[in-house]
Amino acid sequence: MRTGRRRRRTGPGTPLLVVPPAAVGVLLLGVPTLAILVRTPWSRLGTIYHRRGVWTALRISLESSLEATALSVLLGVPLAWALARLRMRGIGFVRALVTIPLVLPPVIGGVALFDALGRFGIAGRPVHDLLGSDLPFTFAGIVLAQTFVAMPFLVITVEGAFRIADRGVEEAAATLGASRSRIFARVTLPLVAPAILLGTVLCWARALGEFGATLLFGGNTPGHTQTLPTLVLTVFNDNPADAPALALPLMAVAIVVLGTLRDTWLRPLASS
Amino acid sequence: MSVVVDGAVELDAFRLEVTLTAQPRAVLAVLGPNGAGKSTLLRAVCGLVPLASGTIGLGDDVVDDAGRGIFVPPQQRRVGVVFQDHRLFRHLRVLDNVAFGPRARGVPRAAARVSAAEWLARLGLDELAGRRPAQLSGGQAQRVALARALAAEPAALLLDEPLAALDVQTRAEVQGELREHLRDFAGPTLLVTHDPIEALLLATRIVVLERGRVVQEGSPADITSRPLTPYVARLVGMNLYEGRATGTSVALDGGGHLVAADAPAGRVLVAVRPSAITVHTEQPHGTSARNAWAGRVAGLAPLGDRVRVSVTGEPAATVDVTAAAVAELGLGPGAPVWLSAKATDVAAYPAPAEVAGGLAG
Repeated sequence: MRTGRRRRRTGPGTPLLVVPPAAVGVLLLGVPTLAILVRTPWSRLGTIYHRRGVWTALRISLESSLEATALSVLLGVPLAWALARLRMRGIGFVRALVTIPLVLPPVIGGVALFDALGRFGIAGRPVHDLLGSDLPFTFAGIVLAQTFVAMPFLVITVEGAFRIADRGVEEAAATLGASRSRIFARVTLPLVAPAILLGTVLCWARALGEFGATLLFGGNTPGHTQTLPTLVLTVFNDNPADAPALALPLMAVAIVVLGTLRDTWLRPLASS
Repeated sequence: MSVVVDGAVELDAFRLEVTLTAQPRAVLAVLGPNGAGKSTLLRAVCGLVPLASGTIGLGDDVVDDAGRGIFVPPQQRRVGVVFQDHRLFRHLRVLDNVAFGPRARGVPRAAARVSAAEWLARLGLDELAGRRPAQLSGGQAQRVALARALAAEPAALLLDEPLAALDVQTRAEVQGELREHLRDFAGPTLLVTHDPIEALLLATRIVVLERGRVVQEGSPADITSRPLTPYVARLVGMNLYEGRATGTSVALDGGGHLVAADAPAGRVLVAVRPSAITVHTEQPHGTSARNAWAGRVAGLAPLGDRVRVSVTGEPAATVDVTAAAVAELGLGPGAPVWLSAKATDVAAYPAPAEVAGGLAG
């Protein structure tokens, strides 16, 4: 039975101007995603996964992307602090230098890594002497390639947070006797923790999907340097009808991770 | 231990030049308008900003000496600070906020928490121990900030407008508590405020800062009875004039003259309480008051249960009268009046060199 009572509208309402573009946006992003599900050869999934070595590629993808993310956090957070807080000449140049990979096509990143760390790269000889082996076409190589492409996402996210973080509480900590390192670890880092988490997720997502630099610098050797994205290329060249099946594991991983992190994201640290 | 400042701070175009001493167990209020350099002074004392010249001494230690290149960082000064915006660590519980100082000085976690709990108990804040700063009211946050500063066992305490962000009711409560805790504190306290009542209530001595300079220093009684600048006079609600004394009569720079019971020769300042001036509708006769002058009512403003009347004339004056008197005398804007004041209510004292010539207007 209708009571005749409608939920009363509050606020100024929805501007009609935003509705059509928003709807088109949903279609643009949603239709291809759905298309993959529609075209997935569900009945042959098991066979494809087995025959193509999907589980091995997924394991290499997860391992390499997590290692690249860990490396990015380890190096990127201090780097972000330096970019945000150091007052010295040339810091603007450094910022530009480390954010270039953001706008560079990743495949160019692969070329750049070769020129730097390949056997005939400008730093290739010392690296070879240090490691006793070459970097290209190794597991370490794909971790490096993913780090190169993904770390800038973390750096710019965290740098912004360091920049706007409340300096007042750092001063308060100093008057209480805390050393600089203690202030950084116990006051500043907790302040920017939400940004670090966000940056880490962005960085990891970028590393997991990395293709161009990984392919060029790491190669595409099954069971060794072949990640799920580079395996997609092989399968697609071979038999395009099988390719949609490979999207499922990556989508599943993405959904699980985003689902777990959503609460942490939406709830700012301050109110917890 | 005492705090001795004799130096200057330069920030962009602003220059702060201060000489002051805060004694142990004393509360020295630094009173001044916004932009006078009060907070900069505190930041220099606790080491958040270096001196451009001069020295700062904490007890026997020189912690800042621009000439000799000495600068002790805030971590090693043992100066506790309570900031206007409390600056609590919002990711830590109240207990761990208070334990932060002891922890920073190397006390193990468990012991630091015990001492933090003791401080919270001493300040009557036990039940807040488990809360986050976001769950505290403004008054509670300032009390916790005080506990945090005290728990670090500072040798000196600096309070930067600690009550300014609180509502009137809370401010009165915290003011009372603060008075007690400051009495128990063994070191010197520097209290920055722009509220004269706060300074009078909490301080044993007051330094008035204007445009980066100390313009007056003295006991609360000195400051209220003998203001040296128009700003101080306005703060404590006094009529202040400058002039030249001959005998007991002072010719005022702005016109008119006032007779004091006693006056030093030469340039003087003359202070008269608004409540010491009487308003008449006609020229007073047969009164013992030795000062009487004509004027015109310029405006009226309520002041508690009285009315503050501003009167133009030579000299112009603000006068406090009862509401009944306003009705009785018909004191509307523009009304012609006569004012009178006894010589014993007119205080004349030497004008400081800096103020000389700067008072008129």
